[in-house]
Amino acid sequence: MNTLFRTSLIGIALAGTTALPALADEISWIYCGDRIDPAHEKYIGEWNAANPDYPVVPELVGWAQCQDKATTLAAAGSPVGIAYVGSRTLKEFALNELIVPVPMTEEEKAAYYPNIVETVTFQDTQWGVPIAFSTKALYWNKDLFKEAGLDPETPPKTWAEEIEFAKTIKEKTGKAGYGLSAKTFDNTMHQFLHWVYTNNGKVIDAEDNIVLDSPQNLAALQAYKDITPWSVEGATAYEQNEMRAIFLDGQVGMLQAAVSTAFLLKDTDIDWGVTDLPLGPDAQGPGTLMITDSLVVFADTGVEEKATEFAKYITQPSIQEEYEAGGLAGLTPLRPSPAVDAMVEADPYWKPFVDGIEFGGPEPLFTDYKGLQNVMIEMVQSVVTGSAEPQAALTKAAEALEEYK
Amino acid sequence: MTSSRSAWVFAWLLLAPAIIYVLIIVAWPLVETFRLSFTDASLRKTVNYVGWRNYEKIFNETFLTVITRTFIWTFFSVLLKMVIGMCGAVMLNAAVPGRNLFRILTMPPWIVPMAIGIFMWGWMYNGQFGMISGLLQRFGIVDGPVAFLAYGGSAFWATIITDVWIGVPMVTIYFLAAMQAIPKDLYEAAWTDGASRWTRFRRITLPLMAPAIITMSMLSLIATFNSFDIIWILTQGGPSGQTTTMIIDTYQVAIGSKKYGEGAARAVVICLFLSLFCLAYFRVTRRLHTMDKA
Repeated sequence: MNTLFRTSLIGIALAGTTALPALADEISWIYCGDRIDPAHEKYIGEWNAANPDYPVVPELVGWAQCQDKATTLAAAGSPVGIAYVGSRTLKEFALNELIVPVPMTEEEKAAYYPNIVETVTFQDTQWGVPIAFSTKALYWNKDLFKEAGLDPETPPKTWAEEIEFAKTIKEKTGKAGYGLSAKTFDNTMHQFLHWVYTNNGKVIDAEDNIVLDSPQNLAALQAYKDITPWSVEGATAYEQNEMRAIFLDGQVGMLQAAVSTAFLLKDTDIDWGVTDLPLGPDAQGPGTLMITDSLVVFADTGVEEKATEFAKYITQPSIQEEYEAGGLAGLTPLRPSPAVDAMVEADPYWKPFVDGIEFGGPEPLFTDYKGLQNVMIEMVQSVVTGSAEPQAALTKAAEALEEYK
Repeated sequence: MTSSRSAWVFAWLLLAPAIIYVLIIVAWPLVETFRLSFTDASLRKTVNYVGWRNYEKIFNETFLTVITRTFIWTFFSVLLKMVIGMCGAVMLNAAVPGRNLFRILTMPPWIVPMAIGIFMWGWMYNGQFGMISGLLQRFGIVDGPVAFLAYGGSAFWATIITDVWIGVPMVTIYFLAAMQAIPKDLYEAAWTDGASRWTRFRRITLPLMAPAIITMSMLSLIATFNSFDIIWILTQGGPSGQTTTMIIDTYQVAIGSKKYGEGAARAVVICLFLSLFCLAYFRVTRRLHTMDKA
């Protein structure tokens, strides 16, 4: 009994005198995807070694749930340190004070390609750091062009040519001329916005006025209607990746898609080419929708300052280049650099993805982006299925968008 | 008196964990949802009470269409499950060679993880690579690919068929069990009297299975009304909202648009409908129980 008593006393004394290690303030990171990119893994390790009091702890979440999880946690009052989100959500997050601003210096802004900084800017402040960037270009199947009697080395330059070529392919080969995707899915809106930005159109202006109902956008919607009969049957059943699978199977003449499609095409027997997106009648030059994902820093975590520092660290040019060059994500580079020039020279298929940036536009920033998305999808589907005429659909959508801006 | 009181206390002590569990897991979220439905809760940090505004807002033409669509979707899905389940049970109950093998073959839709089953159907409905479109073309029924999920009408029926495929095994097995509990001598007596197979089914099987049919219908109704996964994976409520049921609409508003208050109001309406179904279920089962005793 005495021994037990003595041992207990020693134990208590030791427990009281042993200094406990201070707990580190973790920066939790909701990382979208099914694996952490090797470049990020390497630099997270380096950050953690240099900042043992503020280690970054990434949590992998699948793309489908990623954004909802970060949002729900923030809304429930237990936000993560940083998260990878679509830049389209920044206005909604900022207005609801869920995230903190991440202002850029003029030097930082100037390092990006034109229009990129606008995708993360709201009320003249930057609310996220761009980390992923996607543009689109037009792929064409040269075999189908040949089969249809078209010049396989001459892709369409304008919408009129694109519709005409699609019609010819459909009529001559029986295969779809164009891969129009219009499923109830977010990229249905994205696909349409590529047409908007290749005709100098806009959805919302800098003063928050809805300008969807414009001649430029009407022309885009009319082009959608005109190309539908020559596209894959049942466009409303397919989203862009499903349509890409049909293109990779050699069943579609033309498709607007990201650079990752070029990587996949290398593994097929298809003779293909890729060029700038065809232009509408009011286009000023090559355009594209510029989709960026950003790292955002959530408010009320107690580590905002260090999280901001990390967000800038992990997206600094040297690390970002390494991430983009990995090729796993199929990303368009965010900043011009000699390395990008070398890449375009080595693989010319990169060129149209960079060309479109000049007159490209961002995803429109709305306070309820899902509301925006639903309205745009409904508008596109009503035209594609023939249940509404382009002008009526456009006017109806423009009115509906007032609620979500 | 003391003994009965201590027995009463003991009984409550035994029940306490279950009661606490139900209060935390079921009652509290329900009450919280009801409270939220009277607020403008969203991503904003402040929450204001807005009275009946959310309810006034949702009872517009669109939501009434969604309610009607939900009832039609549920009706056909439950009806088909009951009819096919009954046919399946009759076949599995028949003395045919290999009956046990057929019983096993009934189970895959139930055993396969639901999401995988739904993705499988999604591929079958695909116009370009799908089996159904391929077969229709091969037999010359259609002259080109048919994307079943591309059009409102076909997408609506496609989601019902998938729901039926997933739900039928349970109904079949339940009906089979009920069928096997019917005394054999009733059939023997009827057969001796010269009753045909159809007459025996109509006069013996169906009446004696009525409690099982009603119970299964009610349970299936409740589960089907709330069916989310199938529609979400196949169509996300599209095209043009043609497969949007109440539960899909609620998810889109509450989680998609982060209008938690409006979403909660929709959830309360669903809850009210389900409560009515449950009430009907309990009344029917009580009546059946009384009839059994009589």
